[in-house]
Amino acid sequence: MREHRLPNPGWGPLSALPGNPLMWVLILSELLVFMAFFALYAAERAAQVALFDASQQELDPLMGGLNTLVLLTSGLCVALAVEASAASRLRRARRWLAAAMGLGALFGVIKVLEYASKFAVGITPDTNTFFGFYYGLTAFHFAHVLFGLALLGLVTWRTSLENVETAAAFWHMVDLIWILLYPLLYLLR
Amino acid sequence: MTSLPGTRRLLATWAILMGLTLVSMVSARLDADAWQALPLWSAALVLLATGFKAQRLLMVYLNLRMATPAWKGAFVGLVTLTLALIGAGYLVARLA
Repeated sequence: MREHRLPNPGWGPLSALPGNPLMWVLILSELLVFMAFFALYAAERAAQVALFDASQQELDPLMGGLNTLVLLTSGLCVALAVEASAASRLRRARRWLAAAMGLGALFGVIKVLEYASKFAVGITPDTNTFFGFYYGLTAFHFAHVLFGLALLGLVTWRTSLENVETAAAFWHMVDLIWILLYPLLYLLR
Repeated sequence: MTSLPGTRRLLATWAILMGLTLVSMVSARLDADAWQALPLWSAALVLLATGFKAQRLLMVYLNLRMATPAWKGAFVGLVTLTLALIGAGYLVARLA
């Protein structure tokens, strides 16, 4: 690919990536961090099969599935906000961003309800190794959701194509990690 | 400016992602009354659907389709490796 046709000329090996190159560095590093946690989970599961099987039964995979649908739809709204920004339709972009934030908040509400139902029956991060991973991984992801919501709020205020594209990339990364987390914790039993 | 996916492609991708999520949930037999371990083919289907979802999200939502083959390969490879780790951990636990 010739240098002048690259999306980000002057960024060395990152020149060929669309959007903000630094966001891709963050996406790559976050994926590696979560991959390390997933590997740890896999190793612990192999060592404590009965405990992980019994504990997994306490989770509600339908709630997890619902949250997957909500987050992926929120990702669509953010992608449509980027399209609208690129067409200089900033009011429309803000509307899509607001819809994405609404769905992100709904994800949070479902997650909090899920946590509350576990705490109500005495299941905490200290219960056992499985729930240590469950709370640790989902809360770490939830922290990313909250940061992503703040970022979307910020670019709704300061709307430009570059800002919306950067926030959208972060939000899609949050989506991507949840896509991997959902089968690991809820579905593969 | 990078060429964006376009509304039609985004909507088609969203429909695929929704469909694959439902396929995963059905494959994981969430309709079963009692808890039971999944047959290996069901687990494989869940992982395949997840891998395809991640690939679509990277290529369309994150617009990685506009990057060089090296970057596309790197990210798809990383996701594949992650899913291989998840699958291997599951398989070791199931066959133990």
